[in-house]
Amino acid sequence: MPGAEAAVTAVWRQESARLIAGLTRITRDVGLAEDLAQDALVAALDQWPREGVPANAGAWLMAVSKRRAVDHFRRERTARRGTQALAERLEEADHVDLAGAVDHIEDDVLRLIFLTCHPALPPESRAALTLRLVGGLTTAEIANGFLVREKTMGQRISRAKATLADVHADFEVPRGDEREARLADVMAVIYLIFTEGYAATVGDHWMRPELCLEALRLARLLAALMPDEPEVHGLQSLLEIQASRTRARRGADGEAVLLEAQDRRLWDQLLIRRGLAALDRAEATGKAVGPYVLQAAIAACHARARRAEDTDWVRIAELYDVVAEAYPSAVVEVNRAVAHGRAYGPDAGLSILDAVAEDASLATTPLVASVRGDLLDCRGDHEAAAAEFRKAAAQSRNEAERRLLHRRALEKDPSRL
Amino acid sequence: MRYMVFVKMREDVGEAPTALRETMDAAMGELFAAGSMIDAGGLGDASKATEIRLSGGAVTVTNGPWTEATEVAGGYAILEARSREEAVEGARRVIEIHKEHWPGWEGSVEVRPISGGAES
Repeated sequence: MPGAEAAVTAVWRQESARLIAGLTRITRDVGLAEDLAQDALVAALDQWPREGVPANAGAWLMAVSKRRAVDHFRRERTARRGTQALAERLEEADHVDLAGAVDHIEDDVLRLIFLTCHPALPPESRAALTLRLVGGLTTAEIANGFLVREKTMGQRISRAKATLADVHADFEVPRGDEREARLADVMAVIYLIFTEGYAATVGDHWMRPELCLEALRLARLLAALMPDEPEVHGLQSLLEIQASRTRARRGADGEAVLLEAQDRRLWDQLLIRRGLAALDRAEATGKAVGPYVLQAAIAACHARARRAEDTDWVRIAELYDVVAEAYPSAVVEVNRAVAHGRAYGPDAGLSILDAVAEDASLATTPLVASVRGDLLDCRGDHEAAAAEFRKAAAQSRNEAERRLLHRRALEKDPSRL
Repeated sequence: MRYMVFVKMREDVGEAPTALRETMDAAMGELFAAGSMIDAGGLGDASKATEIRLSGGAVTVTNGPWTEATEVAGGYAILEARSREEAVEGARRVIEIHKEHWPGWEGSVEVRPISGGAES
């Protein structure tokens, strides 16, 4: 009865982060916590299709997992030292009314996110483990999202769990100096998942929407768990606004459509409204903002403009000036060149671009050539623009992007057809 | 995929008990925090609604109240769910909460996919 199975799995997925988080606090072993949560899923798959989904499914799953945990530690008690304390902690935890301990569980979920984004793990493992344990995705789904084989992804996840055990990673939200850096790591993982879905760097797909949705969910969850952190709201805002353009980013033939050429009627106004509200929440904290709030503020300038020509480029140029000052990088300079080109004319943009064009970090990307093409085009220098677009196309690793650049080259210089 | 969830109910059920409102607020807060609920709202008094109808080639505008009104939509939510089952589970919770905190309430929750959504 696949329908019933899908219903059980849907419930389990909704509860799994809380389940695994609570079990990790009790067992101090995230791998074991996941196994116990899976045991509860197996039990639910057996029981629920016959007896119906219990009214409080989360509490049911937790109760089953904890019974399995007790069994597990009873078996281990003679074989391992220190399990007496664990068994006691479990029995104590049995007395906790789970429905009345929601805040506690929310804290555990936050701890779980910090654990799966632990600095002892390589970034791609952090992303995979977060999707698995916090997002509740299957290994196959994560493998599919990152375009690797399921077996490879399974090994990556197992290794990540083993590493966390090896380094005795704390199940705590870090305090003090460490907190800021670790929070930045967590946000970077969510952003990585989003960009992996939004702008697939390799292959012929322009985006993988499932990954974008998962990243958006994680960002929303993190914002709800850390409401006093402006950057967390900034990250959510940025992702909501970027995701609002999903339908407009692809043309009828699946080709990429750049921001200014997009049909803005296809922008998702609900996500834009949510993104702008998240940006307001970031600013309402009254605390110093960082890169995500700044990027969100830039994205918001585009989102507010119902027509491309209504875009407040002067404001965007100002925001990029702030970004360049605080977080200097070659890519930021390229974006600053675009903004200044729009705000103050193509020559203003070209002079910023020229200053950064030789930067080694940009040598292998089509970025400089495509922006130069764009600015030259604005200046009316169409042939030179076409040459830059061709150069950019040759540097692109993404099939959809390459097609877009070729098309732009042809539009500017049809004689080369 | 996005789903529109309509809560339909008899209009003459009276005030919701405090326990129901509090539990619903908590459940909705949870769904918003989890990122699966992206919009929700209650609908005003259906007796004050205006209906614009095309029938037999003629347009008529009618203001409430209507005598035949039975069950009306009292609220809506938009869910961004991974699957239909996930959306249905979110909606089922609403009914379970009513069952526990307002057993006299009668109504239904309808879950329908929104076409033309962000991922379609």
